[in-house]
Amino acid sequence: MSRSINYTSSPLLASKTPVWRSKFIVACLALAFAGLAGRAAYVQVFGNEFFQRQGEVRFARTLELPANRGKVLDRNGLILASSVVAQSIWAIPEDVDKSDPKLAKLARLLDMPLAELRRKLVNEDKTFVWIQRQVDEPVARQIAALDIKGIYQRREYKREYPEGEAAAHVVGFTNVEDRGQEGVELTFNEQLSGRNGSRRVIKDRLGRVVEDVRDVVPPVDGRDLQLSIDSKVQFFAYQKLKDAVQAHKAKAGSVVVIDTITGEVLALANYPSYNPNRRRNLTGEQLRNRVLTDSFEPGSIMKPFIAALALEKGLVRPETPINTAPGRISIGGSTISDSHPNNVLTVNEVIQKSSNVGTVKMAMQMSPREMWETYAQAGFGQKPQVPFPGAVSGRLRPYKTWRPIEQATMSYGYGLSASLFQLAQSYTVFARDGELVPVTLLKTDQPATGVRVFSEKNAQAVRHMLAMATGTGGTAVKAQTIGYSVGGKTGTARKQEGKGYAEKKYRSWFVGLAPVEKPRIVVAVMVDEPNNGVYYGGLVAAPVFSETVQQTLRIMGVQPDMSVKPQIVTEVVEESF
Amino acid sequence: MIRLNLVLLLAVLASAFYLVHTQYESRRLYTAIDRAQAQARKLESEHEQLQVQKRAQATPARVQQLATRQLDMRPVTPGITEYVVMPVAATPSAAEPAR
Repeated sequence: MSRSINYTSSPLLASKTPVWRSKFIVACLALAFAGLAGRAAYVQVFGNEFFQRQGEVRFARTLELPANRGKVLDRNGLILASSVVAQSIWAIPEDVDKSDPKLAKLARLLDMPLAELRRKLVNEDKTFVWIQRQVDEPVARQIAALDIKGIYQRREYKREYPEGEAAAHVVGFTNVEDRGQEGVELTFNEQLSGRNGSRRVIKDRLGRVVEDVRDVVPPVDGRDLQLSIDSKVQFFAYQKLKDAVQAHKAKAGSVVVIDTITGEVLALANYPSYNPNRRRNLTGEQLRNRVLTDSFEPGSIMKPFIAALALEKGLVRPETPINTAPGRISIGGSTISDSHPNNVLTVNEVIQKSSNVGTVKMAMQMSPREMWETYAQAGFGQKPQVPFPGAVSGRLRPYKTWRPIEQATMSYGYGLSASLFQLAQSYTVFARDGELVPVTLLKTDQPATGVRVFSEKNAQAVRHMLAMATGTGGTAVKAQTIGYSVGGKTGTARKQEGKGYAEKKYRSWFVGLAPVEKPRIVVAVMVDEPNNGVYYGGLVAAPVFSETVQQTLRIMGVQPDMSVKPQIVTEVVEESF
Repeated sequence: MIRLNLVLLLAVLASAFYLVHTQYESRRLYTAIDRAQAQARKLESEHEQLQVQKRAQATPARVQQLATRQLDMRPVTPGITEYVVMPVAATPSAAEPAR
């Protein structure tokens, strides 16, 4: 207890401190605490939202989850169009050293003139410019290896079309933004395109995702689309058409194959076509889907409808003789003639030999209204029920305005127009024993229900006439094919130009069905401006029909309905009838 | 009393350290799963690409070209095709020569 220092006696402590000083200190401390408390309250209560946001901005990121566009498949599940990853090259022009020698290499890799590349880099936007979009993966890797300052890559999706030009018009294509521009890609864009998702995440210092902040919005992939197209049939039809167009030095051609039982379109091709994977310098000629967008006067193709209507009304029977001599008939001052005059022909023979006079004689016993109704029921003058951009309805004037001469010319297919697609569909009436089948581009397994136009018996009778037209003495012997019986009708017309018909510009076509007894397919072929000596439908279009029918029925596994002389495998394939 | 407090203090500290560790572990695992998912997406798109390539190599156009050029084949016709009818019941093909 002994302390050496006596506090009270310390001279330092002797002086009296004023009380306000200690109070002042205490007050200062209290104020500081109050300040802290106030700040804490401000940060955590009043300004909370602001600080939360500021914090999040510094470490949270929104990531886009890209959705895949649906695939387009053929009827057997083979890919017709699919999206694959492709890199797009972009630049920050400010950062690019314009004198970099590596730019020349980049231009070469991108297959782009160096001047154009430089022009892109001096664009007014200083912070962003696309150099080239959707570059192939190997090229993109080489560009990445060049490692040019200011040049970057971004992952995008690109559409691939493995079937190439054969299916180009059906499938169509998308633009760089992955939106459909043509064909099925355009028509079914809604269904095919997906919806991108997103997620909000927290990233750490190294850019790794460490936590999801909110619920993830999952991407919704586009749905796949299965078409009725059979890529093999499509290819064969396209190839045969292409061969024929080239052989006849023609301007263009089209072919369509329809399954008569389900109403599915098995093939739809046009030539000239284009490669949807390389779409530079495309012309309208190449892009046009002529099967659906071009309409023309169907000509002799219409005659079987008149014959069927005449049978239906009981005006004639297949064996009823009609006098077509002298190969001319005068209607209201105009003369209609046959190119090859005949004498007395039966109704069967009128169709077989494609006599205008005989057809007109039948048609003039009908009222315009009946004719119009039959044509309309067969789909003429109406847009086909296929969801396709640019499909035309053709032209079928209302019957009230028909003059007698017009009724006469319409009976053999002039004065009205239709697309090749409409012609093909209309012939399902004969293929399905009198029913018009609704056509579809999407795969279906159910047989379609048709709309009755003619009775079963009369449709079969007309089918028999169509078979005769391709037989000996008919107009389209070249439509015959080994093993399968066929029936069909040819057409040839001078092309309309302005008000009149063009000299030496023809269009030839053939529409037919096979096998005759139980038709499975209807095939329509059109060749535009054959320019190599021959131009009759029976010589230009019918051979394409023949080969298409044969390949299609074989692919479909239809057994030949005609006896075939077995051939040892040698080099010559001879016809067996 | 003091001893109890000490024990509690230790427990709190241990729990706190463990929490930090778990948090770290969870983030690490999350990163791993994220990376795996990205990998899965990448593989999927690669798979897609390969499928398209495979299909492009097997288009009818290419197949026919190869068959005619390299293998000297030609398109079939019914003339050189033997059609067989599928047996209605499950008749073994061995029954054929017995007749």
